[in-house]
Amino acid sequence: MSETSEPQPLDVRRGQRSLIGRLSLVWLVPLIALAVSLFVAFQNYANQGTEIEIYFENASGIKAEETEIRYRDVTVGRVEGVKFAEGLDVVIVTARIDQTVAPFLDADAQFWVVRPNVSVRGISGLDTVLSGVYIEGNWNTDPQVQQFEFVGLEEPPLTRAGQRGTEIVLRTTDGSSLTTGAPILHKGIQVGYLETPRLAFDGRTVTVSAFIESPYDRRITTNTRFWDTSGFSVSLGANGLDLDVSSIASLIEGGIAFDTVVSGGRAVRDGQIFDLFDDEQTARSSLFNDPDLPRLTMSVLFDGSVNGLAVGSEVRFQGIRIGEVIDLGAVAVDSDEGPMVQLRTVLAIEPGRLGLGEEATPDEALAFIADLVRQRSLRARLVTGNILSGALNVQLLEVPDSMANFVDLGGDPYPIIPTTDNAITDVADEAQSVLARINALPIEELMSGAVDLMDSVEQVVRSEGIRSAPDEVVALLQEARALVGSDDVQAIPAELRAIVADLDAIVSGAEQADLVARIGTVVDSAGTAMTNLETASAALPGLTEQVDALLQKTLALELEGLVTEATATLDGIEALIVSEGFTQAPAALTALIEEGRTLIASEDIAAMPAELRGVVTRLNGIITALDEADISAQLAAAVNSANNAAASIETASANLPGITAELESLAAKTNALELDTLVAEATATLNSINALVAADETRDLPASLASALDEMALFLADVREGGAVENVNAALASAADAARAIEEAAASLPALSARATALVAQTDAVVQSFGERSRFNAETLSTLRDIQEAADAVSALARAIQRNPNSLLTGR
Amino acid sequence: MGSTGQRLTTAREAGYVACRRCGQVHDCGAKTCKRCHGRLRSRDEQSLQKVWAWLIAGIITFIPANLYPMLKTSTLVDKSESTILGGVVELVHHDNYGIAAIVFVASILIPVGKFIAITYLALSVQLRSEINMHNRHKLYDIVEFIGRWSMIDVFVVAILSALVQLNTVATVNPGIAAVSFALSVIFTMLSAQSFDARLIWDADRTPA
Repeated sequence: MSETSEPQPLDVRRGQRSLIGRLSLVWLVPLIALAVSLFVAFQNYANQGTEIEIYFENASGIKAEETEIRYRDVTVGRVEGVKFAEGLDVVIVTARIDQTVAPFLDADAQFWVVRPNVSVRGISGLDTVLSGVYIEGNWNTDPQVQQFEFVGLEEPPLTRAGQRGTEIVLRTTDGSSLTTGAPILHKGIQVGYLETPRLAFDGRTVTVSAFIESPYDRRITTNTRFWDTSGFSVSLGANGLDLDVSSIASLIEGGIAFDTVVSGGRAVRDGQIFDLFDDEQTARSSLFNDPDLPRLTMSVLFDGSVNGLAVGSEVRFQGIRIGEVIDLGAVAVDSDEGPMVQLRTVLAIEPGRLGLGEEATPDEALAFIADLVRQRSLRARLVTGNILSGALNVQLLEVPDSMANFVDLGGDPYPIIPTTDNAITDVADEAQSVLARINALPIEELMSGAVDLMDSVEQVVRSEGIRSAPDEVVALLQEARALVGSDDVQAIPAELRAIVADLDAIVSGAEQADLVARIGTVVDSAGTAMTNLETASAALPGLTEQVDALLQKTLALELEGLVTEATATLDGIEALIVSEGFTQAPAALTALIEEGRTLIASEDIAAMPAELRGVVTRLNGIITALDEADISAQLAAAVNSANNAAASIETASANLPGITAELESLAAKTNALELDTLVAEATATLNSINALVAADETRDLPASLASALDEMALFLADVREGGAVENVNAALASAADAARAIEEAAASLPALSARATALVAQTDAVVQSFGERSRFNAETLSTLRDIQEAADAVSALARAIQRNPNSLLTGR
Repeated sequence: MGSTGQRLTTAREAGYVACRRCGQVHDCGAKTCKRCHGRLRSRDEQSLQKVWAWLIAGIITFIPANLYPMLKTSTLVDKSESTILGGVVELVHHDNYGIAAIVFVASILIPVGKFIAITYLALSVQLRSEINMHNRHKLYDIVEFIGRWSMIDVFVVAILSALVQLNTVATVNPGIAAVSFALSVIFTMLSAQSFDARLIWDADRTPA
């Protein structure tokens, strides 16, 4: 191998450039990579989030590195680990929360596990069925002292922190209708919900927090009332059946409604306590007693039973409600008659309602009531509040003329208002008994009896015999006219005129005897007597009262029984009328009328006027004789006597007041008489009559009557045939003789006048005896007893008739 | 003019310089290749600097590539992010040892091995070691050959991300680690490329 040419000298030059100059630009790459990596690392660290710990009872469904923490459905963190705390009683969930959110995690932050939930109000958390549970966090937007440890909730809270609204507390005695989450309705719109009800520490009340969402919470003032709308209510009233169902949710879960009717309440803050009322009506009525106002507490001690009085019963003063009963209890008291139990009723009175103004204090009200009691005799009593339910109210009223009394300011524990007689009317019982009595009246039977009677009467009237009666009557009238038109009858007036002329002469004689002046004197005496009578009548009012009492007794009589008897009687009468015998009666009557007509048409009757004329002529003679006998003078004497008699009456009248008093006492005694018994007897009598009418024999009566009428007709025929008219003529002749005797007797008239005078005097004495002796009263009483006995006798008679109705006909 | 008999005369010693692209030999003074107009350099004096620089960048980016999730998989019910090592562990848990091994080798073993190999090569050149020159050269060949295969992970992620985009039902997205890993592989390859294998043989040469 041949040597190659000598290589050129190496141009090896060490770089003279500086260190920086020798550095390659490639070094920038690792620098940039480092920078980027560091930046990313820092970024990552910075965004790593704040570690917090949440304590849960259990951690079902929570997985480390998977379960998210969300706030308003935005993931703000992730669970990093789940472990037990010492003692294994709590599960600690460690989680990282985004840095941006962490500062807001202060004391009000809440965490709970969202799981699928199905309730009446809907289904929630359904997405967690697939994705697994997540932890929902809730806090307000106001960062305060940051916290790192939280206690998780087992149930989702109803109120989200930061939710605008007002949280109030409702207080009730029965929490059975309250459930967590139940809606709060205002005019049917849900504006809030209930939290979990809790029993108060004292065990007596149930309190439940309720959240009212903004802006509806502005509707709530101290005057707002809440009531329970759970379930449904059925009411039967004047408007018919009323079914009230608020909403399905409230039907199942219960619900609360509220309303603010009265304006002027103060705005409420969180934690304001309201009472929960059972129903809307109670709630609304409670609006008018503000529980915040101070009330005057007083007590009343009642002697008798306060059955019907209850806590909440009204206290009324002059018709206005001024308070209510707040407590009832018995208290033992020592009295003059030994120990006794009184019922203490505690009243709460609102001073504002006594007319003392809105700002009145209980002390002012107490002073006011004490004044009323002392000066105007204010008293408390029980009155019937509701006549149907028998509920009682307490009434304060002024009782004039009552004994002086005062408010016992030292009463324990409250001042005691004096009482007066209670005014409890048990109207219900009375009304019931009245209705029962009315109900027991056999009015329907009475009406049906009357209707049947009408029917029977109609049947009688329609019978042919009655229809033919008018024709017969017309014929009878024609006969009578013919009789009147006869010459003899026409001559009677002339005779009468002569008699009148004679009388005229007598009167003129009397005129001459100055009869008129005497009569004037008599009239004066009568006037005086009237004055006395007037005095006597002053005592009449007392009498009226007695009569009044008598009437009241009469009222109490057993009228019902009487009506029953009357009904039965009507029935009997009806049965009587319906009977066949009665319907035959008109025919018999018709026959009777025909007989009468035949009789009138007879010649003997036509001869009667002539006889009558003779009689008149004789009368004329008698009067003429009287005229001659100077009867006027006798009359004058008689008038004198009458005058004296009037004077006597006047004297007697002076005694009339006494008589009136006697009459009064008589009335009182009459009052006391056993009228009830009398009425009972009358009732019994009616019973008897009823029985009588109902008896078969009585039904046969019409038939008997018909036959009797037939007999009458035969009798009249006999009269016509047997010359009865001649007998009448003879009778008229006898009358003429009698007139002659009167003529003679007239002569002794003056003696008669004297006797009349004596009689008047005796009457005077009798009248005077009225005033002096009470025997008259006794007589009256015995008379009344006689009346009673007579009634008894009538009753007995009725029974007798009942036993033997035929006796009416047979005359026994 | 080597010091020993076995010593070979290098082109540099002979006053020549070869074009590394087309192999044309030029005199030492030539700056550009007459044939391909490539730049002629007898030795890359900044080779080691570049190697170190790229290597460091590769290592730096390899850290987040392992710490951050490679894949973000979200299905209807689940959402998971897995790192490279986490994925391997998960595969092992599911008894997919073969795939776990492939992933582990391709994503962990090879890149780490490359770091170690390149570091060893660079250090040995810097310290003018004369040991195992042939083996080192072979090692360099292997490193350069195998480097590109490390991108298999990145390709898998890229393909999955492109294919599995079913909106809410299932979605796969590359994580930060995918980018970091790709960068790491690229930087490592650049580092290997920057290494001038001729320097291995210059160890017994006294620097001019």
